[in-house]
Amino acid sequence: MITYIARRLLFLPIVLIGVTLLVFVAMSFLSPYQLVSAYIKSPEELKNQSLDDLVRKYGLDQPIHVRYVSWMKNLLKGDLGYSVSANMPVAEAVTKRFPATIELALFASVPVVLGGIWLGTISAKHYNRPLDHVTRTFAIIGWSLPDFVFGLILLMIFYGVLGWFPPGRLSMWADTVVLTGNFTRYTGLNTVDSLLNGRPDIFWDSVRHLIAPVITLSYLWWAYLLRITRSSMLEVMNKDYVRTARAKGLTEKVVVNRHVRRNAMIPVATVSGSMILGLLGGVVIVETVFDYKGLGLLTATGAQQLDYTLILGTTLFYGMLLVLINLVVDVLYAVIDPRVRLE
Amino acid sequence: MVMKKLLRNPLSMVGLLLLLGFILVAIFAPWIAPTQEIYANDPYRVPRFGWGTTPEPPSPQHPMGLTQGKYDIFYGIVWGTRTAFQVGLIVTGLSCFIGVVIGSTSAYVGGKFDEVIMRFVDVFMSFPFLIAAIVITAILGRGLDKVIIALVIFRWTGYARLIRGNVLQVKQDEYVMAARAGGVSHPKILLRHILPNTIFPVLIQASMNMGSIVVTASTLSFLGLGAPEGHADWGQMISFARNWVLGTPDNSLAYWYTVVWPGLAIVLFVLSWNLIGDAFRDIMDPRIQG
Repeated sequence: MITYIARRLLFLPIVLIGVTLLVFVAMSFLSPYQLVSAYIKSPEELKNQSLDDLVRKYGLDQPIHVRYVSWMKNLLKGDLGYSVSANMPVAEAVTKRFPATIELALFASVPVVLGGIWLGTISAKHYNRPLDHVTRTFAIIGWSLPDFVFGLILLMIFYGVLGWFPPGRLSMWADTVVLTGNFTRYTGLNTVDSLLNGRPDIFWDSVRHLIAPVITLSYLWWAYLLRITRSSMLEVMNKDYVRTARAKGLTEKVVVNRHVRRNAMIPVATVSGSMILGLLGGVVIVETVFDYKGLGLLTATGAQQLDYTLILGTTLFYGMLLVLINLVVDVLYAVIDPRVRLE
Repeated sequence: MVMKKLLRNPLSMVGLLLLLGFILVAIFAPWIAPTQEIYANDPYRVPRFGWGTTPEPPSPQHPMGLTQGKYDIFYGIVWGTRTAFQVGLIVTGLSCFIGVVIGSTSAYVGGKFDEVIMRFVDVFMSFPFLIAAIVITAILGRGLDKVIIALVIFRWTGYARLIRGNVLQVKQDEYVMAARAGGVSHPKILLRHILPNTIFPVLIQASMNMGSIVVTASTLSFLGLGAPEGHADWGQMISFARNWVLGTPDNSLAYWYTVVWPGLAIVLFVLSWNLIGDAFRDIMDPRIQG
C-alpha cells in the first residue's frame, strides 16, 4: 500500500511539469505583446512604459527555454499575471471564485452519485424488462441533453414561469448582508457560512439558487453512472458467489445490496476520476447559463474577451487540481480494491 | 447478425430512424430550405429578415420564427444539420486516424518509446476536455475550423489508448510471429496483420462519439467561441436564445421558439447516436450475455 502511494507521488511532479509545459506551449502561440499581460502585476505598469519596454523587461524576446524557466519561477511564487477582464491578479480572482465552484460541485456530487447508482441498480435488477427500458430511456435522454439546452429550459420554466429558482448565487438582499453586515466568511461557501453565522434565511436563499444548476449537472451524469453500474452489476450477477448466496436462501434484497452491488462498485470508483473531469468542464457551462459567479463563469468570460492571462491561469489551476484529485481517487481506489495494491 | 439485433431493439430502431431523418435533411437541405439569390455564394449564411434584435414568432413564411437578429430559425436548423455532420465526421475521422497511428505504433514498438508516448497521453487526458478546447479556440481564434482543430487535439488520446491495449494483446499471437518469421517488414505486419484484427472496436467507439463531439462543438459556439455569427450552427442558434428565455413581463414564454427548436434539433441528433450506441454496447458486451 505504502509503495503504491509512494510510486504515485513520485509520478506526480512529472505530470505537473507536463501540465505546465502544455500550457506554456499553448502560450507560445501568442505574440510577445499579447503575452505581456501575463507578466505584469497591475495596470499601473502600463502607464509609463511602452509595450516594447515591457517585452524587454520580462524577457519575452528571449528564447523559449529561458522564458519557460522565468515563467516557472513566477509560477512557484504564485504569480499568474494580471487579468484584464476580472480587473485583478489572476491568482486572486481564482481564489475568490473557487469556493463558489466547490460549493456547486459538492452539492451536485451527492445526487449524481446516489441517483446514478440507484438507477443503475433498478435497471440491472429488471434487466430487459419494462422498468429497465424506462430508466435507460430516462438516462439516455439525459445523456443526449446538452447542459446548456437543459439549463436554459430549466431557467425558462423554473424562473421565467414559476419564479422559484432564480439565477446567480444569492438574492440582492442576501448579497448585501453577506458583503456589508457583520457576516463572517469562514469558508466562502454560502450555505456553510450562513449556518455558521446563524442565518437560516440566507442558507435557504443560497440553496434556492443552487437547485437548478445542480439538477442540470446531475441529470447528465446519471446516465453515465447508470450505464456503468448497470453493466457491472449484470456482470457480477452471473458470478458463482452470487448463485451461492441465492442458494443458501438469502432474500433478493440482501443478495442485491450486499453481494452484488458492493462488488459492482469497483468500476464505478474507477470512473469517478473522469467524472470529476467532466463535472469541472460542465461547471463552465452551467455557471454561464445560470450566471453563477464561480471559476467556470470566470473562465468563460475570460475566453469571450480573449483574456489570455486569465484563460491560461485558470487552465493551469484546473490541471493542477485534477492531477491532485486523480491522485486522491487512485489512493482511495487502492483502499477499496485490495487487488490494485498488489499489482 | 448485429444489424438484425439492432433492428429488433425498439430503442435502437428509433435511433436509426432519427439518424436517417437527419441524413436526409442534410442531403436535401437546398430543397427543404432554398437559399435566396443574394446569399447564393454562401448557402451556410442564415438569411435575416428585417432589422432590430427582437425575435418574431412563427408565421407562414418562417415556420419556426425568427431568432435574435431576425435570423430565420428553420433555415438555420436545416443547414445546421450539415454543419453538425461536417464537424462530427471530420473530427471523428482525423482524431481516430491520429490515435490509431500513434497508439498502434507505440504498442508495437513497445519499451521506452511506449512509456514516453503514454505519459504524453496522460498529460493530455488530465485536462477537462471542454476547458482545453476553450483554451485552444481562444488562442487560435474564432471559427469552425479552429473548433475542429481543438477537438482533434484533445480527442485522439482516447483512441490511442484503446488501440494500444488491443495491439498489445495480439502482438504476441502466433500469426504475428509467423509473419515475422516469414520476413515480413514491420510496417507491413502492423498494417496488414495487426490492424485489421484490432481496429474494429476503435471504429465502433469512434462512431459512438459523434454525438458528444457535436455537443462539444455546439457548446463552444454557445460560449461564443465557435462558428462566426450568422453561420448555420445549432449551438449559436441557442446562444441567440439566451437573452430571451425569460420572455416579456406579461408572457414569460413569449420567445419559447428561440430555444425550443434549435434545442430539439441538437437533442434529437445526439439522442439518435446514443440510442444506437447504447444498444450496440449491449450487443457487443460479452460479459452480460449470461
